[in-house]
This record gives sequence, structure tokens and C-alpha cells, in this order.
Amino acid sequence: MNVLDLARAQFAVTGVLHFLFVVLTLGLAPLVAIIQTRHVITGKPVFERMARFWGQIYVINYALGVFTGLVMEFQFGLSWSGLSRYAGDVFGAPLAVETMGAFFLESTFLGLWIFGWGRLPRWLHLACIWLVTLTAYASAFWVLVANSFLQNPAGAEVRGDHLVLTDFGALLTNPTLVFALPHVLGAGLFTGSSVIIGASAYQLFRRTREREFFVRSLRVGVVGALVGTLVAVGFGFAQFGPVGQVQPGKFDGNVVVGTSLGFMILIGELAVFGVLFVLTPLLFRDWLARWRWIHPLLMLMTPMPFIAAILGWLVREIGRQPWIVYGRLTVKDAMSPGLTPGMITASFVAFTAVLGLLAVIDYVLIARTVRRGPAAATLGDPGRPDPAASAPALTL
Amino acid sequence: MDILWLGVFALLLIGYFALEGFDIGIGMLLPVLGRTREERDRLVAGMAPFVLAGEVWLVAVAGVLFGAFPHLEGETLFALYPLVVGLLVSWVIRDAGLWFRRRLDGRAWRAFWDGALCVGSYGLALTWGLALAALVQGGPVLTPLGVGYAAVVVGVFAIHGRRFAAWRAGGPGRTGWALLGSAALAAVPVAVPLVVAAPWLLDHVAPSSTLGVLTLVLLPCVPVMVAAQVWVWRAFGRRARTGVGARVPSFF
Repeated sequence: MNVLDLARAQFAVTGVLHFLFVVLTLGLAPLVAIIQTRHVITGKPVFERMARFWGQIYVINYALGVFTGLVMEFQFGLSWSGLSRYAGDVFGAPLAVETMGAFFLESTFLGLWIFGWGRLPRWLHLACIWLVTLTAYASAFWVLVANSFLQNPAGAEVRGDHLVLTDFGALLTNPTLVFALPHVLGAGLFTGSSVIIGASAYQLFRRTREREFFVRSLRVGVVGALVGTLVAVGFGFAQFGPVGQVQPGKFDGNVVVGTSLGFMILIGELAVFGVLFVLTPLLFRDWLARWRWIHPLLMLMTPMPFIAAILGWLVREIGRQPWIVYGRLTVKDAMSPGLTPGMITASFVAFTAVLGLLAVIDYVLIARTVRRGPAAATLGDPGRPDPAASAPALTL
Repeated sequence: MDILWLGVFALLLIGYFALEGFDIGIGMLLPVLGRTREERDRLVAGMAPFVLAGEVWLVAVAGVLFGAFPHLEGETLFALYPLVVGLLVSWVIRDAGLWFRRRLDGRAWRAFWDGALCVGSYGLALTWGLALAALVQGGPVLTPLGVGYAAVVVGVFAIHGRRFAAWRAGGPGRTGWALLGSAALAAVPVAVPLVVAAPWLLDHVAPSSTLGVLTLVLLPCVPVMVAAQVWVWRAFGRRARTGVGARVPSFF
């Protein structure tokens, strides 16, 4: 592999890893927020335990989304300085807005949510998880604004040797953005729901003692999956029109793109069919929770949305090669001049080894959390009353 | 508008050193200040609520660098290639130590991730020192001055971390003012290069059409950002010192 191949492979590996974790973050955040809202409204302890348990899985997953995201953000400068030289005046703006206006707030509110259990007033603590959800969605929006600009450089003009921003509105109404955003958010919701369905099925199959907990969770998962699959598949097909106009021939001629697209559509259609006509009707009298033979099938379904998400990413990004900014700048010309095989190999090995290892550990920790069940969740652990520690509180 | 965005960039970078410096400092001093597992848990629990709100300042620095100084973004990060890679790997290892250390209970597991937290924190301080020196000198990534500067950054972060730990522990003479003093000290190693580099930064600022959009979209976010940060310090600063939180196991 030459330097260009290595730089592309490095970005692909970090990008795919990032997407695997982020797609689950996007789906679990609103589901946890809804569950916690039900607790605050009804006061039922089961909803609080559900928010803590699924929240812990959300938080463990979140960590890897951040690690991979950091490496992604800085990689633009490390490997692709030609992109910022040519298109930075346009492409940099949505990324700057994403970091300051979305991720900055998301991370701050998440810290308040994680460490504020039992410490913040109940409604304010609930507001934190909703703000985390809102800013996570905002984050997805701005990242897709940036990505859509690369797919279709709307709102910019060539001046001399680089692009300048002429119409910010065109950046936000980019035809490659408007259907892609709900598609991705729907896919996220389907992913988060699948994890809840798979984990609940596992616990019910093992004849868990926490039956009510996982029957309720299974219902949340199926309803989430119903909304998620319909939105993801609907807006997935809706993209063919605009993409065909700005990137004609995107899906033709490339084996990887064609195969990925085919399999993604297959997964999507099977998911819609299965959720709409099998899982949702079986919520009647909790048949789905009672029919133990079906639970292994639900567990096997869990990886499907992750696979579909990666296939979708491959279609969108490989389908526009060799362009980094479609029709304007090639990936080759965007590579940092002076990048040597030694540099890219060393950083590739370092990033891949560290992030790959941490990703495996993270999934093992999530699986372990699922296996040990809600009783072992440490997030928001109310702890044991300790007279020595609580005494000073009375003096406040 | 150029001055405004230079100011935002400088404020974010200084904020990162002042607000994340003590987290890095505590990470470095973890084996020294925390001899037992309980002591280490208490130290990490003290800084834990501030880490997520502190490290995002650097994410915002990178975003503003890309948005408001796009031509510097590629040039600078590429010029510092090995240091940026080292900084990222250190950052990820430090954070992994924080997120993972309490997920399992085994001795070896805890020791390993506490080690990661410590090594990653040293990596962060050292790569920052080397990177700032290389930027000011405009030259190679490893020079005697750079090594000296890295030692300075390690030193001020360690002082800041120690002050923070003392402030959290409470007691007479451990006031917020002392912590503010060490925050100012921690910001000096980045404030000086910023002053030196200000004209160079202004030369590379994005055109006014880009800055106008950034100002329009981000200005409404600033009060929310400030409010969220203030909320973190109000929620976890004063009350935590009373020991109320001590019975609740920290997530980190």
C-alpha cells in the first residue's frame, strides 16, 4: 500500500469505529431520556432502575464514541491538510459549530447527568439527559452538514485556488443533507432499540428474576425499533432522487458500493417487515416476552443495524471516489504534502492498536453489564446510608 | 471580527489549560498522592465531575482552529505530526483509564487503568510542552528548549492538580482563591505563546463571510456554554466538600 492508501485506510478504520459507537449513542440517548421521563412523571421505581441500567450501557458506549471522534477531528489536519487549504473557509464552519455549539454542551450536560444522580433536583437532572439528546442530534446535524458539503459543494464558489462561502443557507438545505439526517437518526434509534431488544431477550431467555424490568424494556425496544426502522428505511429510499441528481452513477460500476447497497436494503426491508408485522403485534399480551423460543432469534438480530450502518457509510463514502469534495478536489490532491510512509504507518498502527483494543474492551464491558443485570448497575448508585458522611449535611 | 475570533480561540485554549490542567495534574500525581486504592478513588472521584466539562475546551479549540483559522489547521497540525499523534494517543489512554477503572473490581484491572490514567496524563503534559515550544520556535519537534518547556508544563499542571486536591479535601487555607491562582499559573505556558503568535494568527484568519456565519450561529450558544460550565462548578464544587457525596460511589 502506498501513502495515499494508508491514509485512506486510517481514516476509514477510525471513521467506521466512530460510527459503530455513535450510531448506538444517538439511539440510546432519546430512549433513556424517555424512560427517565416516565420515572419522573409516574414515580415508579422500575423506570428509575431502567434509566440507570440502560443509561450505564449508553455511557460505556459513549466513551469510545469520544475517543474515536477525537482522532477523527485531528486527522483532517494530520493527513488531509489539502482539504483545509482548498475548502477550509467553507468546510471548517460547520465543524466549528459542531464542536462549540453541540459537542461542548453535550459533554458538559452528560457530566452533569452522570455525576448529578441523587445530587441535582429531579427535574433538572431529567433536563440534563434531554439536553444531552438534543445536543447529540445537533452534533449529528452539523457533522452531516459538513459531510454533505463534501458530497455536493453547495453554497461555495471558487476564488483563485480555493473555495469561499457564498451562501450559508445552501449549505443547510443541501439536497444530500435533508434526507440523510433523518435516515441516520432513524438508523440510530433502530440500533439503540435492537440492543435493548437483544439484551432483554437474553435476560428473559435465561429466566431472569427481573421479569417486569425486561418485559417493559422489551416493549420500549420494539416501539423504538418500529419508529426507527420506518424512518430509516423511508428516508433511505427518499435519498435516491437527490443523490441521483448531484452524483449521477454513484451506485454503478463499483462492486463494493453495489454489494453494500444491496445488503443494506435487504437488512432494512427485513427489519421493517419483522418489526412491523411480527414484533409489534406480538406485544399483545406480552407474547413476545412469553415465547421463549423466539428470544435467541431476537439476540441474533442485534448486530444487524450495526452492519447496515457500516454498509450505508461505505455506499455514501466509496460511491463518491475519487473526490473528497465532489467534482472539485480529489482525495489524492487533499493529502498533506510531505506525508511519508513512515509517518502514516506509525500513526496508523498507534491509532488502530489503541482504538481497536479499547473498542473490544468496551464491547466486553457492555456485554458484561447486560449479563449481570440491573442489580449490578453502578451508574446513579444511591449507595448505602453512612451516618458519618451524611451528618454534615444536616448542618447545611 | 478578526480580533473577536482570535479572542475566542485564545480564551478556549487558556480555558483548557486552566480547567483541564488540574485533571492532568492529579492524573500525574496519582501514584504519589494516592498510596492506597481508597485514596486514589477519592482523588479521582474529586476530579471526575469536572473532566467531561474540562476536556471539551480542547475539542472546541480544534473546531475553532478549523472554522476560523482553516489554513493554519492543516499547516500547524501537520508540522507537529508526531506530537499531535502522541497527544491524541495520550488523551485516549488517559480517558480510557478514567472511564474503565471502576468497571471491574479486580486488583490488576484497577492497577492497570490507574496506570493508564497516570501515563496518559504525563503524555498530555509533555506533548503540550513540546508542541508549544515547537510552534514558537517554528522548528523541529524535539529541541532542548522544548524539553525544558515540557518540564515546565508538567510542573505547573502538578501544582494545579495538588491545589485542586487540597481544595476538594477542604480545610482552612484551602480557598477557591488559591485554586484560582494555580489555574492562572497553569495558563501561563499557553498564554505566553499565544501573545507571541497573535499577529501570525491574525494573518491567517478566515474571510469575513465565514466569520460572519460563525458569529451569527455561535453567539447565541455562548451564554448556554457559560451557564453549563458555571452549573458544573456550582453543582460539584461547594456541596461536594461537605462530604455529602462521599457515600455515593463515583462513576469514574
